[in-house]
Parts: sequence; structure tokens; C-alpha cells
Amino acid sequence: MNIGFGAEFTGSQLAGTFENSVHSVSKFLRLYEKKRGDRRTGSSKLGSVGEAFFFSVFLLLGLAALAVMLVTIVWPELRANRHYLKARCTVIGATISEKDDDEGGVTYRPDVTIQLIVAGKSYQTTTYDAARLYTSGRQKALTAIEQFQAGKEYDCWYDPTDPRRAVLVRGYSGWTYLLLLVPLSFIAIGGGGLVYTLWHWGTSAERRSALAQRAANMDLLNEPATNGHDFPQVPSDNDWKSSPGTRLSYRLPITTAPGWQLFAAFFACFCWIGITAVFVVIAVRSHVRGEPEWFLTVFIIPFVIVGLVLVYALVRQLLITTGVGPTRMEISRHPLHPGESCDLYLSQAGRLTMNSLEVLLACDENATYRQGTDTRTEQRRVLEQSVYRRDGFEIDPAVPLEHQWSILIPAAAMHSFRSTHNEVKWKLLVKGDVVGWPNFEREYPLIVFPADHCEVEA
Amino acid sequence: MTPQPIEILFDDDRTQFSPGEELAGQFLVVPGDARSLRAVELSVLWTTEGKGDEDIGVHHFERLDAQDGENDLRRLIAFRTRLPNSPLSYQGAIVKIVWCVRVRAFPLRGDDFFSEERFQLGNVPAAEQPATS
Repeated sequence: MNIGFGAEFTGSQLAGTFENSVHSVSKFLRLYEKKRGDRRTGSSKLGSVGEAFFFSVFLLLGLAALAVMLVTIVWPELRANRHYLKARCTVIGATISEKDDDEGGVTYRPDVTIQLIVAGKSYQTTTYDAARLYTSGRQKALTAIEQFQAGKEYDCWYDPTDPRRAVLVRGYSGWTYLLLLVPLSFIAIGGGGLVYTLWHWGTSAERRSALAQRAANMDLLNEPATNGHDFPQVPSDNDWKSSPGTRLSYRLPITTAPGWQLFAAFFACFCWIGITAVFVVIAVRSHVRGEPEWFLTVFIIPFVIVGLVLVYALVRQLLITTGVGPTRMEISRHPLHPGESCDLYLSQAGRLTMNSLEVLLACDENATYRQGTDTRTEQRRVLEQSVYRRDGFEIDPAVPLEHQWSILIPAAAMHSFRSTHNEVKWKLLVKGDVVGWPNFEREYPLIVFPADHCEVEA
Repeated sequence: MTPQPIEILFDDDRTQFSPGEELAGQFLVVPGDARSLRAVELSVLWTTEGKGDEDIGVHHFERLDAQDGENDLRRLIAFRTRLPNSPLSYQGAIVKIVWCVRVRAFPLRGDDFFSEERFQLGNVPAAEQPATS
């Protein structure tokens, strides 16, 4: 079947297309906005409110956690190390305090009771260090209190504003300060996201797009918006130019190499069957014991079926990869333009008895859209032309099939196009129907540039 | 609320252009109370329509601010830009590329509003709609 371009704009289409209308943008929140096809897109303002709320929660959690850490750890240690005054104190006793943690374990803290005299006044307090943190190691707390014996005098440091706050050990908690990264990352994500959301609040889509485009052009790490040529939104063709052919100028890259497809099939099969096998063993053992777990048995049946399908896919891919030799496509010229022809070279290796081998020139439209939480891509083929076909022949391992011929890119063709959610994609498809072997299909993307001469009548 | 008028006119009333050609025209924003206009934005852009989520590419962008009343935005304002080589206007099956000049007006109080005038870049015919994919 050959399908393709050729429909013309009608006068009424143009009139409808170029109709001028004024659109008012409401400041109030609407749950749904523009209807597109049979779907409705969500309200961008409601989305912005949701984003602002989400980032605000992140920011508040981060600020709260940071405040707690500053008050309980950082500030006391800072004061103890910088502002506390040195004195002598007498140890009265030492114990280890215990506290249950959230995970059901026990944490420990050294508690040393001391008495010190400041300005003729006696103060008694229980202390060790400034942070007073509970930790999981009891031995560490034990080692800490063993340094102090009741009745003996030791150095201590006290807060001149309140001598009841005193420490026997100064210094900083070291690794504990790494915990600050947690609230700081919350603040960075929440604050950054909130600033971004508020910055874009009330900014038109056109202005946002213009700013983003300008930023992309300034970003030296990214591919420039022009893709190395002067045709915006036409994908780059640099990959081709770096891969010379043996017969023609360029060797076309394959979309997905058979080896990678085999690896993906193997990985999916291995993971799925590995997990499913655990439950199958449990179910089988329950039946062997005479205490069958029927719910588990019924529950895992669909998983086993999917596993069998994956095994079939793996075997099929294995046969294709090992039995069907490499397919090589080369092209004589680049860039391609509508209305221009180019030479193609096909080489198919392997030991194969073929029902048919066909090369198709195809153009697909790909549209990606969000539906709820899903992201879906729909593909529609708008052009498909058989450019080569051969039926009933054999391929010998020593003599691969080779064929060179010319094709014409249709003059009325749309050029390759790629944006975030939409794409016009040209490709060559090699389809093989092999006797007694799984059929195979290999895809080679093409980049078609706009026609050199596409002036319109004024 | 009554829509407020924005007039966009292409020079020589053209609506079809070639890649690399110069697009020129004028626009006029006439709100009910002209003094209340805070800013206007002019964009020459393409958007996608169809099945997929909308993508937008701004080729040319200008923002004019009222600047405390010194810059009267009620006048006829001319614009001019050289169009890019791509993407060309396209009426596909599920992907459509539409070029337009869009003028967005920001009143001092109330909702912003915009109007757009479409034009065609290049002459790619519409794709035939296949019965099935």
C-alpha cells in the first residue's frame, strides 16, 4: 500500500485557519482549559498553584529541619567552643542514658553529673558535650563516662550567661554535620522550585519560550538549537557524516542494533522469571506439603504467562540475532531534500532461505501526550512506499545479497521535524520474511531537509 | 467580559511566505481604556496542534512596556522579521505545525488578552489521511 502527501489546502480551510480572534486569559483558576482532540488539557494556573504548594512544602520542611538542627546541634556547639569559659568541676557521678529510637532499637548518651563553683555560687548539672545527642553505640558512651571518676576534679567549660549550661568535652560533631545536607537539599529544591514557579507566574508562554530558547543558545554544554545547521527543529545529521560507507558515501545507522535488542530481551526475561520463580517455588512447595496456598497459586498464573511470553520473545530474538546476518544500508548523498533522488546500497548477510526481502521508505508522525499520570505516544504513518522487493531466493554465508538502486524522496514531502512532544520521522525499513525462521524488521532513520526551492507565490 | 480588539495586519495582505523571506506588518491594540495598557508582547512563533501536547517555538519576540505613560501603546506598531528555514507549516494526520503572529496585551488591571494571525511558511501539502495506520 502506498500512501503519501498530496492533499491541497482549500480556500475554506485557509479562511478558517487564518481567522483572527481575540482570546481573553482569565485570572481565575479553571480546572480545564483548551480542548485538544478528544482530550482536555489541565489548567496551567491550577498546575502552577499545585507546583507552588509542592515546592512550598519542601521548603518549609527543609527550613524546619534546618532550624531544629541549628538550635539543637550547631548553635550549642558553636557557643561551647567560642564563648564558654574554662573552670574546674567535681564529678559527682556518671551514667549512660538510654532512649528507644523510631526503628525499635536503643540509643545511648553519656551523662556525667558535675558540680562547679562560679563567682562563689555552686551549680550542679548533668552534661557531657554540647550537642547531647543519643547514638547507637553503647560502647562509645561507656568509653566516654569511663574517663571520669566520681569525686575527682576535671576541666569544664560553662556558659557565662548561665553556668548551669556546661560541658566536659568541646569540639564539633564531625560527620553529624553531613546531616545538614538533608534539610539544605530540601531548601534548595523547594526554594529553587518556588522561585522558578513565581518567576513564571503571569509570564506569557511566548516570553517563557523565548527566554528558554535564549538560555539554550547560551548553554555551551548543550547542542545548539540550530543542531549544527540552519534548519531549526530538523534533527542533526552529524551521526551519518562520521560513518562512511564502503560502496556509497555514508553508512546509515540502525535505530536499535539486534545485539542490544537481544540484551534487552534477556535482561527483561531474567528479571521477570527470577522474581516470579521465587513465588512459584513457594506455591509448589505448599502443594507438595499438602497445604496448598490457592490464592498465591492463582495470583501468580498471569505472571507465569507473561514470563512464558518473555521467554518466547527471547528465543525469537536469539534466532533473529544469530540466524539473520547483519543488514547494511548505505546512502550516496546527504542532506536529502524532497523531490531529489539518491542511491541506496543494501547488503544482507547470513544463511537464509527468503520468502521475501523488502525495503520500505516510510514517514511517521509521532505525537506524545500526557493522559493522567501516563505519557503516551501515538504513531501515524503518513507515507509508505515499497522501494525494493525480491521474492523467493537464498542467501549464502559466503555471498551476501547486495543491491544498489535509486530512490526518489517525494516532492510533496514534509521535512523531518522534532520538538518536545511531536515528531515527523523518516526511515527506511528492511523487512525480511524467512522460511522456517522468525521474520525480522530493521529500521534506519533518514533526515529529510526542507526543499531547496520552496518559494510560494505571493 | 467583552473581548478587547487587537488588529494584526500583514503588509500587502499576504498570508503565505517562503523560508528566509521577510515578514512585515503592523498591529494595533485598542482597549476600552487605552491608558490602562501596561505592556504588549509581539511574537512570531510556531505551535503544534493535533494529538500530541502542544509545543511552541518563538522565532521573534518583542515586549513593549508603557513606561509610566511615556510610551503610548495605542499607536499602530510595525514589526518586521526574517523568517527561518524551518519548520515549515504542515497539516499532518496527528501532527500539525502552525505559524502565527501573536500579540498579547497586558492591561494595568484585569486579564491579559491576545490575538493571533496565522500565516503559512513554505508550501508543504497536507498529508493524506490514511484510513488506518
